[in-house]
Amino acid sequence: MRNRKSQSAVIRFEPALKALFLCLLIAGSAVGYVWQKSQIFQLDQQIRQREIRLKQLQDANQKLNDQLAMLRSPLMLDRRARELNLGLAPAQPSQIWRLPELSALPPGIGSATNRLAVRQTGATTQ
Amino acid sequence: MSNKLQLRRTLLLLLVLGAAFAGLGYRLVDLQVLRHDELARVGEQNTTREFLKAPRRGDILDVNGNLLATSTPVKTVCANPSLMGNQQAVVAQALAPLLGLSESVLYQRLFPRLGRNEKGETVTNGLHYVRLQKNVSDETWQSIQMTMSNLSFGVDEQKLSRADRVFFRNLRRSAIFAETDQLRLYPNGPLAAHVLGFVGSDEVILNGNAVSRLSGRDGIELQLNSQLSGAAGWRVTETDRQRRELVSLRDEDVQACDGFDVVLTLDVAIQQIVERALVDAMQKHTPISITGIVMRPRTGEILAMATLPNFDPNNPGGAPADARRDRVICDLMEPGSTFKIVVVSGALNDGVVHFKDTFNCEEGHFAYAGRVLHDHEPFGILNTEGIITKSSNIGAAKIGIRLGENRLYDYATEYGFGEVTGIWLPGEVNGILYPVKKWSKVSIAQIPMGQGVAVTRLQMLMAMCAIANDGWLMQPMLVNRLEDANGNLVQQYVPHRVRQVINDATDKLMIEALKTVVMPGGTAPGAAMTDYTAAGKTGTAQKVGPDGYERGKYFASFIGFFPADSPQLCISVVMDEPKEGYYGGQVCGPVFREIAERCASYLNITPDRVSGPTNSPPLTIMSSHRRPANLSAQ
Repeated sequence: MRNRKSQSAVIRFEPALKALFLCLLIAGSAVGYVWQKSQIFQLDQQIRQREIRLKQLQDANQKLNDQLAMLRSPLMLDRRARELNLGLAPAQPSQIWRLPELSALPPGIGSATNRLAVRQTGATTQ
Repeated sequence: MSNKLQLRRTLLLLLVLGAAFAGLGYRLVDLQVLRHDELARVGEQNTTREFLKAPRRGDILDVNGNLLATSTPVKTVCANPSLMGNQQAVVAQALAPLLGLSESVLYQRLFPRLGRNEKGETVTNGLHYVRLQKNVSDETWQSIQMTMSNLSFGVDEQKLSRADRVFFRNLRRSAIFAETDQLRLYPNGPLAAHVLGFVGSDEVILNGNAVSRLSGRDGIELQLNSQLSGAAGWRVTETDRQRRELVSLRDEDVQACDGFDVVLTLDVAIQQIVERALVDAMQKHTPISITGIVMRPRTGEILAMATLPNFDPNNPGGAPADARRDRVICDLMEPGSTFKIVVVSGALNDGVVHFKDTFNCEEGHFAYAGRVLHDHEPFGILNTEGIITKSSNIGAAKIGIRLGENRLYDYATEYGFGEVTGIWLPGEVNGILYPVKKWSKVSIAQIPMGQGVAVTRLQMLMAMCAIANDGWLMQPMLVNRLEDANGNLVQQYVPHRVRQVINDATDKLMIEALKTVVMPGGTAPGAAMTDYTAAGKTGTAQKVGPDGYERGKYFASFIGFFPADSPQLCISVVMDEPKEGYYGGQVCGPVFREIAERCASYLNITPDRVSGPTNSPPLTIMSSHRRPANLSAQ
């Protein structure tokens, strides 16, 4: 009689453990599922925020590019040169020295022409 | 007995339950089968959203990559009047200074209203959507957002009911919102305005809301609108209750394809040179209008094209319609003496006259076909070259008579008169060149002197460019290439030869004759250049009014090129009714010279003339150990 009782107690404990494990598994899966959904939502929001930020940066970049292009335009440079009274003026044809093209020279004097070109540049900028 | 009663009750219960299940079953079939499509669509509409991705309109650049037109991102500020409650006054007071609107106007706009569409149907867009201001900068939009989130409505919101708190929260967060838009910007203001054109906004209805889209209205903006516009992208996705996008549920995501950048043949520095010279001439001679064009005759590339009066494409409505018209291609005029190049070159080319043939210019009065032709001063005997030099009408008429009507018409057609040049700008007109059968008896004497035909300024320039280009007529070229947003080449355009009008030998003779025009004794000594040999032709044409030629009203013009024997640039200057002189050589010649000399300096064109003591000493090539004395003196 005792043996039968003790045997039956062992038999009942095992299904209880199984049931508990199953419950934990289901609960864990449910929590995991919700956690995963939450993670997906958070990542969604992060991607969205980053996309918005990227667009803002691209727009800012575009504006800076435009600003740079305007500052470097000949018109702006001309206007600034006038405002600052730098005394700059277009070079007259008589102020420009022209060097013969290398291909037009006899062979062997190309190096001399190059040296002359360097000195010539210095002369016109003084 | 009790069993029977129980049975009846059971049956009744079963009947009720059966009926209930049948009703539910019917409802199930109704929802899932009979109304499936309709309800699926409603469900999709509740969750699915489609967002349009607007493409960026491409830039317009000059040949050196300088920006002429660009698109910059801005916001269009909108409101949802249904969320305003009765707080319009508070919101209007806070936002009016930021939006640049008067408080009363803004107050009125914040009320929900029903509208009507084109079909007369009532539309409810105005209940939820009203556009407050366009082209608002990002900085201003941030200020608006901050102002709205800090807005005080004069009530203690902690003591309000939950519904009222939600109302104020929605009012702050969602009642004012912004849509992304783009603003077309022309950094150089009116520079090259007639070439660039301008844009306007087209409204497209999308998801019940009006979306604005930039569209070209004139100039290159209109001509190349499809290339500049690009293609819109879209995103089909789902949103949550707060209308936040659920990125993981995106269905379709197609990126917008930005418009191509258009690189013109214009050079902004040369355009500036031309416009400055035209402004000076405008002040000096106060004509109704003045135009200037600079072209490379070998290729037909247009380096500058300007018309005064002009307008600012950033605000095209600020100028009268007259100022927005591109007179270079849209206006017709009798060319006057510049047209003599057609008849003289034709006659030389056909061999019916020779360069040194002489003509009696009748001392300024020549009766022909019942009309008396006049010269601007009496000339006796002139040779062919002298007729060009002195611009004798009678001499040109006699050459025309010798050439014959049909051949004169042929040459005028060959030079491109009477048909569009094919420039990539909208609104170009053909000009008027009547067929020979419609000519009067005197036409053969009038047309050679530039009367009885109507041309555009561009047609006349193209004819002169043909003479500067060994007789080859080119198609005018305004667009160099198309590039994508990353600067990759999409399409390169190349010069296009139309036809050879005159042969090389005739062309050289014509250039020799045209060189004399700018010499002392010619009609345009004021166009002569210091360091270059120029060649060109003057024109002074009486204006035609409703009652025939108008006294004292002239079109003055000068079209020339340099260096004459190796032409690099061809320049046209035309004034409409100049004061303080009206002869082409007198008023337009100096403008030509000013433009030509500055362009030559900018483009570093090699001079073909030795000019005075300031000229550079001859450069000698020496070996490396010998320093030239003339260089050290610099």
